[in-house]
Amino acid sequence: MEVSVIGSSQANILKTDLACRELGLLSFKNGSRVSWGKSQISFGRSCGLRNSGVRLTLKAVQTEAIRPQKISRPQSQHGVRLYVGLPLDAVSYCNAVNHAKAIAAGLKALKLLGVEGVELPIWWGVVEKEAMGKYDWSGYLALVEMVHKVGLKLHVSLCFHGSKHAKIPLPEWVIKIGEQNPSIFFTDRTGQQYKECLSLAVDEVPVLEGKTPVEVYNDFCESFKSSFSSFIGSTIDGISMGLGPDGELRYPSHQGLSRSSKVPGVGEFQCYDKSMLALLKEHGETTGNPLWGLGGPHDAPAYDASPSSNSFFKDDGGSWESPYGDFFLSWYSSLLVRHADRLLSLASSAFGDSEVAIYSKVPLVHQWYKTRSHPAELTAGFYNTQNRDGYEVIAEMFAQHSCKMILPGMDLSDEGQLQEGLSSPEQLLGQIWSACKKHGVEVSGENSSDAVAHGGFEQIRKHLSGEDAAHSFFYQRMGAYFFSPEHFPSFTQLVRNMKQPQMHTDDLLSEEEKAKEPVAATSESGIQMQTA
Amino acid sequence: MSSAVSTEPLLHRSFREISRPRFRSSTLRPSPPPASLSCAPKSPSFRHARRRCASGSGPRRGGWGGAGAGALLRVRASSSGAAVVEALESADVLFQEAFPLQRTETAKGKIFVRLDQGKDGQNWQLTVGCTLAGKWILHWGISHVDDVGSEWDQPPAEMRPPGSIPIKDYAIETPLQKSSTSMDGDEVYEVNISIKSNSNIAAINFVLKDEESGSWYQHRGRDFKVPLMDSLQDDSNIVGSKRGFDLWPGALGQLSNILLKGEASDYKDKDASTDLEASKQEVRCLEGFYVEQPIVKVVSIRNSVNISVKICPKTAKTLVYLETDLPRDVIVHWGVCRDDSKKWEIPAAPYPPETEIFKNKALRTLLQPKEQGNGFWGSFALDEEFVGFLFVLKLKEEDVWLNCMGEDFYIPVSSTRSSSLIRQKESDSTETSGKTMETNTEVSSTAYTDDIINEIRNLVSDISSEKSRKTKTKEAQESILQEIEKLAAEAYSIFRSSLPTFSAEAVLEQEALEPPPHICSGTGTGFEILCQGFNWESNKSGRWYKELMEKASQLASLGFTVVWLPPPTDSVSPEGYMPRDLYNLNSRYGTIDELKDLVKKFHEVNIRVLGDVVLNHRCAQYQNQNGIWNIFGGRLNWDDRAVVADDPHFQGRGNKSSGDNFHAAPNIDHSQDFVRKDLKEWLHWLRSEIGYDGWRLDFVRGFWGGYVKDYLDASEPYFAVGEYWDSLSYTYGEMDHNQDAHRQRIIDWINATNGTAGAFDVTTKGILHAALERCEYWRLSDQKGKPPGVVGWWPSRAVTFVENHDTGSTQGHWRFPSGKEMQGYAYILTHPGTPAVFYDHIFSHYQSEIGSLISIRNRNKIHCRSTIKITKAERDVYAAIIDDKVAMKIGPGYYEPQSGPQKWSPVLEGRDYKVWETS
Repeated sequence: MEVSVIGSSQANILKTDLACRELGLLSFKNGSRVSWGKSQISFGRSCGLRNSGVRLTLKAVQTEAIRPQKISRPQSQHGVRLYVGLPLDAVSYCNAVNHAKAIAAGLKALKLLGVEGVELPIWWGVVEKEAMGKYDWSGYLALVEMVHKVGLKLHVSLCFHGSKHAKIPLPEWVIKIGEQNPSIFFTDRTGQQYKECLSLAVDEVPVLEGKTPVEVYNDFCESFKSSFSSFIGSTIDGISMGLGPDGELRYPSHQGLSRSSKVPGVGEFQCYDKSMLALLKEHGETTGNPLWGLGGPHDAPAYDASPSSNSFFKDDGGSWESPYGDFFLSWYSSLLVRHADRLLSLASSAFGDSEVAIYSKVPLVHQWYKTRSHPAELTAGFYNTQNRDGYEVIAEMFAQHSCKMILPGMDLSDEGQLQEGLSSPEQLLGQIWSACKKHGVEVSGENSSDAVAHGGFEQIRKHLSGEDAAHSFFYQRMGAYFFSPEHFPSFTQLVRNMKQPQMHTDDLLSEEEKAKEPVAATSESGIQMQTA
Repeated sequence: MSSAVSTEPLLHRSFREISRPRFRSSTLRPSPPPASLSCAPKSPSFRHARRRCASGSGPRRGGWGGAGAGALLRVRASSSGAAVVEALESADVLFQEAFPLQRTETAKGKIFVRLDQGKDGQNWQLTVGCTLAGKWILHWGISHVDDVGSEWDQPPAEMRPPGSIPIKDYAIETPLQKSSTSMDGDEVYEVNISIKSNSNIAAINFVLKDEESGSWYQHRGRDFKVPLMDSLQDDSNIVGSKRGFDLWPGALGQLSNILLKGEASDYKDKDASTDLEASKQEVRCLEGFYVEQPIVKVVSIRNSVNISVKICPKTAKTLVYLETDLPRDVIVHWGVCRDDSKKWEIPAAPYPPETEIFKNKALRTLLQPKEQGNGFWGSFALDEEFVGFLFVLKLKEEDVWLNCMGEDFYIPVSSTRSSSLIRQKESDSTETSGKTMETNTEVSSTAYTDDIINEIRNLVSDISSEKSRKTKTKEAQESILQEIEKLAAEAYSIFRSSLPTFSAEAVLEQEALEPPPHICSGTGTGFEILCQGFNWESNKSGRWYKELMEKASQLASLGFTVVWLPPPTDSVSPEGYMPRDLYNLNSRYGTIDELKDLVKKFHEVNIRVLGDVVLNHRCAQYQNQNGIWNIFGGRLNWDDRAVVADDPHFQGRGNKSSGDNFHAAPNIDHSQDFVRKDLKEWLHWLRSEIGYDGWRLDFVRGFWGGYVKDYLDASEPYFAVGEYWDSLSYTYGEMDHNQDAHRQRIIDWINATNGTAGAFDVTTKGILHAALERCEYWRLSDQKGKPPGVVGWWPSRAVTFVENHDTGSTQGHWRFPSGKEMQGYAYILTHPGTPAVFYDHIFSHYQSEIGSLISIRNRNKIHCRSTIKITKAERDVYAAIIDDKVAMKIGPGYYEPQSGPQKWSPVLEGRDYKVWETS
């Protein structure tokens, strides 16, 4: 009797365990495919069942059966793989899993939502905290295990930088070395050091107890690889190599920016630690301009200043366009590219034989993009001006190492920026993206901050659909705000919209059902009543 | 007073049975399946058909007779000259089965409302009609000119059309009659209401109800309103009329059960607004108008498909014969498979007529209409090598796909394997036990088959109702989404709570207190002392408000600063905890005016007043079509969408509950925006109308604390406290020393409210019970040397108490150890947290002692965040020093505070307790 149908179906919904729910979502996600082309279960077979226990088993079998097919066909062409960043301090400085209960609930929610996986920052300062070569992966192993159990994928970000925000510094022993030898840190004109990552100038200088930073990073990667070997290629399907401040390929030219000023300034060049200055001097001498190699530009503005406040970045006749400017900027930017090259080749040799994709992040330094000199990009190390493309060389280098590029700021729109900042996140994104396309580098998106504003979702959606959609997206980041009633519904919406394209399989069925969907959406409650 | 409270599950099942659904709509014939279809969805027969055929008696076995093979046989007999059929007859039936098909059809029609002038020019006539077949009921009432609020009145008797039934004292239900006229060829169901133009009826309110489906056609609990008099009267009514009209497009457009197709929403956007303008103008001077709106009703229909598989002896091919009673052209979308993987494959030609290859993946064959015209059939000849026949059905004209419980139909066709397998499965008991026991095994085999049948029936209904129809999938998906939301809420509250740490709180709050106490919403100044101003018997006199009023000054002089009054609303139970009409504040405790006077009186003596608000559940005023009490009345006339879905007693159509269920009444679904909006408005109204300063929130375990935050943000109470009462931890009947889990649950709830409310410190009460009862005073210090209750972790949100109307009074659900109440009060009235004193204790022989303790607390300015140092927690004595100003001990053991820099002098001593002050 229909009556009992309703009663039991409700009961069933309540009773179903995670596996069943997951199944429900899977079949939704893949549209009709599950029920259509790949029937997992025959009526004939279910006829033989004797009790409800077997029934559940059957459901389980069904989920099992779907999985392999999902892997064999990892993504439909249009699908964007979405990863949600775990809290920066998911593993605390003391190597304990923080808010494990919350993360556990969060992971389940994400799994049910159909999110591909999560992103986990692994901090150098946590794992190799006490002494060189003394790794403690326990916290991260526990977390990876959690992710694995829920059945999500994991993207790991190797963070060779510290974070003030998450209160995670560099390893203690590195900091100690830095106290003796301050030139391992980036330094600005006034001598202010940036202690959240090592200067790229010492990459191949044995400053760390006789080892070079690159060697230390390499040992770290190897240790990671052996500790997580059982997950790499299965649960762990991607690794981001940290390239500098905040994990991004850049100079910390923003370190002295005051957070209060509304319009961010141009930043400052970070070429004043001993090693950098030595390199600069050498460069000056080899190029026949020894005098130019004695220091950075004297006429660059201060951190918070506007481009025109001094002569270096002036739109009209600024020194950046002079031969000296070219001398300095090409040197400054080439060091950054070489640094990235070193680390990416390290990563590709460490993980190249594993079934993981390698990623790295390039920042979206969109401030002052609408000026001719692009000063903020210049100080950050991208020699990208009105006259010169600074991202081609980077894309090319990423391509060489088969490294995918993560581009943050996909939630930003030009409209959302202050007029005075002459900023254009959308244009810059477009520029980098086309450079990537040209060199065949896959682009992954990321949002700019922990809080995506409302327009941001629209913007993200734009970047994730259409011809050249990003192939995956890192949504930053899980935490109280993420799950708050203000935010989580919008995120859910985003995910559901992203899943939508996947419903367009080549089966007509799904399209037809989709067309029906609005009806179903509004009527579901009514129908229940009517059948009752 | 009605018994809206409990419905026995048994009872409601029988209700459901009675109102057996009949699916009908104008666009389809009544569904043909005989009883076996709806009752026992197609029990499959695995019996090797040879037996039946050989016996020649036709299939008559179990539940499967009529619909399945019977129909098949008829077809065989009647369909003329099909070679296939011939072949079938001579073949062995390997497999035969009938599958249910569930689908929905949409019936389109419209609802119209017409107001026109009667023939005599005196009377007006309102016509409400609908062009969809159904058992339509107009549920209506009127508003009078001078009515305030949105209550309905019953129309005068002469207005009621024949067949009207009064519902309680405020509404009428009138069935719509099939009209003699028709509209565009559709039948019209309508009702006419005559209105005397000289009556003082301001508006007619109604909702349409479809008795068959039990659907209410109303908008989020709001009624349709046809204003009859507006500009003629004073201006205030225009608002009413505007509101009524504003509802027209909106309400009709979003009727919960009415689905607007594309053209409908166009209508809504464009035409409706112009119509609306026009009709609004017309009504101003009470001219006739006519508004109509397309509606679509979804009905679910069951059909079936019968499959039989045989071997053609001549060709050695497998023949699959398929027939169905689906009403319109049916396409079989089919393929075959070679093994259990059920990978679709296209067999080699030849194919049946009207077959095309679809995207190289499947074949599509249009079924042939049966001769009698009530169904379709097709037959498919397959090569031997194939193991299975896979298909789904599609209605040609519509985008409707029909499959088997969300999966493809899979028919095993391999003659040797499947038949022997099936036979073995079905009758292995028979074969193993041998022939001597034949009769017995036959019986058990039948019973066993019945089990299978039941099993399959359950399986089919479970899965098909959950998945086979897209709408149901949608529903399953909704339930997943709710699960996600719940998980997110959980993650949210934990992430939130991990932001501040409790150890830091004492310090932080200490500092925060330094400037003149800032009153942050919901938590008062920190110096509050509560009095629970009623007990379980207070409703008995009927004049509690008046009686309490006389005690207001006394309570003030005792030192209380806040009084908690009983739940004020109309309630099914006299005590008020089964609220019904939230806006009706005449209760067993007194009238709304007496309540206002009482609040005013308390305010005069500087006592703030907490209203006891029951937000978790609400009693319905009406039954739905199943006889379930889940339709609300009064100003907040919600329907069953306001009721959580997971209590089967009340058949709510809302979301799943975000907390525990209170089983005696429909639990309100706070995830619904309209519910929250209405409740916020209500709380706001209580604040402004009655003058309540804050809330005591009943049974907050029942819904997510985040919603409480919402309500408190909206109503900005001075003080709020929630009743989060669950059980403490016991091991082998002994209460555990460590009650951290218990207090954590309370803390979690407070956190979920974002700290906007406090909570009763049930943990402290429980531990006091154990400590005092068993002389185990060591329990009063936790592992860290702090108070073991909520008060030890989050003192500023803990409302400590010894007894309340539930635990004590005449209910005595969890009574404080008798005779030891003063020890309890000596504890809570000297300790941090906000103490609450129970009415019964205030007006007892304890009064002077309680008064002394309160004055000690006030004199020493002990507040909810005062520091506490536990100086002794042993078997028979517990002692603590609070703010270095007050020392106390409870228990028979000896304790004297150490005199150091400060000198202690005893100020109060009672049975097993003693209090000192510094001098």
